[in-house]
Amino acid sequence: MLHLRPENLLVQKTLTEAWNASKAGSPLTLDRVISDFDYTTLHVSNSPDDKSILWLSIRTKAWQSVVKCGGDFAGYLKSKYNGFHAVSECSPEQGYDFTVQVKLDELDADAIVQLSLMKIHIMSYPFQLAFDEFARLSQLPEGSNASDTVHQIQYRDDENIFIKPSSDRITVIFETFFQDETDKVFGKVFLQEFVDARKRNRNIQSAPQVLFSHEPPLEAASLMAARSADKNRRFITFVLFPRHFQTPELQFSSVCHLSLFRNYFHYHIKCSKAYMHSRMRYRVDTFIKVLNRAKVDDEEEAGEQTTRRTITGRKLVY
Amino acid sequence: MSYLNNPAIVMDNGTGLTKLGFAGNDSPSWVFPTAIATAQRSTTKQGGSGSGAGQSQGSGNPYFGNSTSATSFNSLASAALLSNNLAGKRGTEDLDFYIGNEALAASQGPSYSLSYPIRHGQVENWDHMERFWENSIFKYLRTEPEDHFFLLTEPPLNPPENREQVAEIFFESFNCAGLYIAVQAVLALAASWTSSKVVDRSLTGTVIDSGDGVTHVIPVAEGYVIGSAIKNIPIAGRDITLFIQSLLRERGEEDTTLRTAERIKQEYCYVCSDIVKEFNKFDRDPQKFAQFIVENSEKTKRKVIDVGYERFLAPEIFFNPEIASSDFLTPLPTVVDQTIQACPIDVRKGLYNNIVLSGGSTMFKDFGRRLQRDLKGIVNNRIALSEHLSGTKSTGVDVQVISHRRQRNAVWFGGSLLAQTAEFKSYCHTKQDYEEIGPEIVRNFSLFNMV
Ligand SMILES: Nc1ncnc2c1ncn2[C@@H]1O[C@H](COP(=O)(O)OP(=O)(O)OP(=O)(O)O)[C@@H](O)[C@H]1O
Ligand SMILES: [Mg+2]
Repeated sequence: MLHLRPENLLVQKTLTEAWNASKAGSPLTLDRVISDFDYTTLHVSNSPDDKSILWLSIRTKAWQSVVKCGGDFAGYLKSKYNGFHAVSECSPEQGYDFTVQVKLDELDADAIVQLSLMKIHIMSYPFQLAFDEFARLSQLPEGSNASDTVHQIQYRDDENIFIKPSSDRITVIFETFFQDETDKVFGKVFLQEFVDARKRNRNIQSAPQVLFSHEPPLEAASLMAARSADKNRRFITFVLFPRHFQTPELQFSSVCHLSLFRNYFHYHIKCSKAYMHSRMRYRVDTFIKVLNRAKVDDEEEAGEQTTRRTITGRKLVY
Repeated sequence: MSYLNNPAIVMDNGTGLTKLGFAGNDSPSWVFPTAIATAQRSTTKQGGSGSGAGQSQGSGNPYFGNSTSATSFNSLASAALLSNNLAGKRGTEDLDFYIGNEALAASQGPSYSLSYPIRHGQVENWDHMERFWENSIFKYLRTEPEDHFFLLTEPPLNPPENREQVAEIFFESFNCAGLYIAVQAVLALAASWTSSKVVDRSLTGTVIDSGDGVTHVIPVAEGYVIGSAIKNIPIAGRDITLFIQSLLRERGEEDTTLRTAERIKQEYCYVCSDIVKEFNKFDRDPQKFAQFIVENSEKTKRKVIDVGYERFLAPEIFFNPEIASSDFLTPLPTVVDQTIQACPIDVRKGLYNNIVLSGGSTMFKDFGRRLQRDLKGIVNNRIALSEHLSGTKSTGVDVQVISHRRQRNAVWFGGSLLAQTAEFKSYCHTKQDYEEIGPEIVRNFSLFNMV
């Protein structure tokens, strides 16, 4: 299956190339932009005075809303890179949200992977807040453990992720929206499938429950009130139970899957369209074949009318 | 409208290599073979070729077997039946494929078959190409096509129907925000502006684009390709590699794979000024012979391959095609001269003056210098002849062949230069335009006038 990996392959490749070149003694001159999903742009460049130092900057749509979630976001992001000597934060480059400085001499493969996950790390902050909040709420006695915290990530122009922790689960709601009519139809089939597959297949019972609606779910309704009801909007709700985020590894993989959900979803809509197109091309090919055959028959008939043959095969001339 | 801030994507899909990247960068982010490995057992019919997997699947069942070879209207119904039947059984085979280097690796195993969707610069298999694009956009470039503008390239004399197909795929499958399809030769001219030899940024010149499958000589005047004068030469990178391979085989070298031949080509070959002299030089000075060492992947075994005359003989095919081919015999400089002579007289000077190289197979050392010398010879002979016949003095023609640093990926680089300009997006056709007018909208693109 076509799986989208959480790390950005291109960041990984660029950094690895720079690292190898610097080890070989001929550091690269870099000034590259790299893109990622959802209005994310990364920039890799040499520091102006030292070629063995690279700057990696990121600008992403989600940044502002993640900052608004409160708490110590800067500290969180820093903690992701604390373990690596090669990586240190520096003041953000003009036009970007976050910049790290990478010393090529001290770089290692692990650090490269973590750097290529930068976007995921940013997106994971509100999830982390929700995990923490869940832990707090679940300690409180029954009855007093309701909370109305909802974290919002605005990851595209008007698409949001809402994350609502409560004492026994975390609800993640995706708001998505289709620009294209065809996409909407495909999307509907897929979304219905998300809901039904779990009912049908016993093996995936442990997967989070998925709900799908046209109306904003209650959890997010308060935040959505300001917006007029839009027919093209779809809401997909994932319900995470503690088994989905018990350990840091589980948390990480849940966050990766969730933050790539929209891209994965749209990717598969495009794949299905491509598949439909190949079916159509096939069908048109067979039609054309039939038409071509019909054409040949035509010519033969026309030929028979003008020239008649005797029984021995000789042409009759009038 | 925030896609306006996203960098445009530049894609140059060539016969051999695909160059992908973002506008504004100085080199493509990804360069990999334009190859796709598809699951072999798939029941879906892939590609435009008549003998699909449908038939092989039906070999056990005569009913299915017959239905693909429809002979009458009757069997059309059964063909429909066949496809409906299969639809139920079909799984996710259409998602089971790899592209680029991963495809080469996957095709080593038994379950994937490799194919190259582009032949001689033009897309042959749209099904494969669509999936190739889909994977390159989402997996390699990690972009949502709705958020980006795309600049694609097309070979000279690409039929407009192909452009429409491209537009259908990009707008209908991918919903891309905007699309510009540029002619490779024009982009190669734009890329030559980085050379210090180019003084004015004009879009007039002759482009020699030699890639993997075919070599084109394309005159461009003021950004418009003079289609009637384009010539192509059926000699390009792959032929040179095959030639080297045949020499290695003749000599009985230890390793004669295509890969080795290609590496030898890229690392050791150069263009000489005179083959007879070069042969003598080699005979006098054994230092010239090189050795190429092939190690297997575990670095346990080493094979030593001698590299001999092919160092200069291989690229010589361009200048003396008779050493490798028996049906195409015109040397490259003569073809260039013929091309320019077939153009309107008022642009010829500009065309001689700005001969731009592009593509991987022009990377041989001294390729440009040799071409310039030979072409100058031809032009000077003609001038001398006409001076002799008419008795008047000619002002002379300045022949200049331009090689530059960006030559290998010149097409991509030119695309990157153009797509990073502020005006680029206004030259693109957008999704709205497409929906308004339909695929024929891409038959015309306005030219950049960049100065
Ligand atoms: N340094 C080099 N010297 C000689 N040949 C080279 C060199 N580098 C690459 N090539 C050859 O160039 C070819 C690829 O060139 P390029 O990428 O321009 O082709 P393409 O765009 O895929 O094909 P086309 O333009 O014909 O559709 C390959 O055959 C490769 O072996
Ligand atoms: Mg090319």
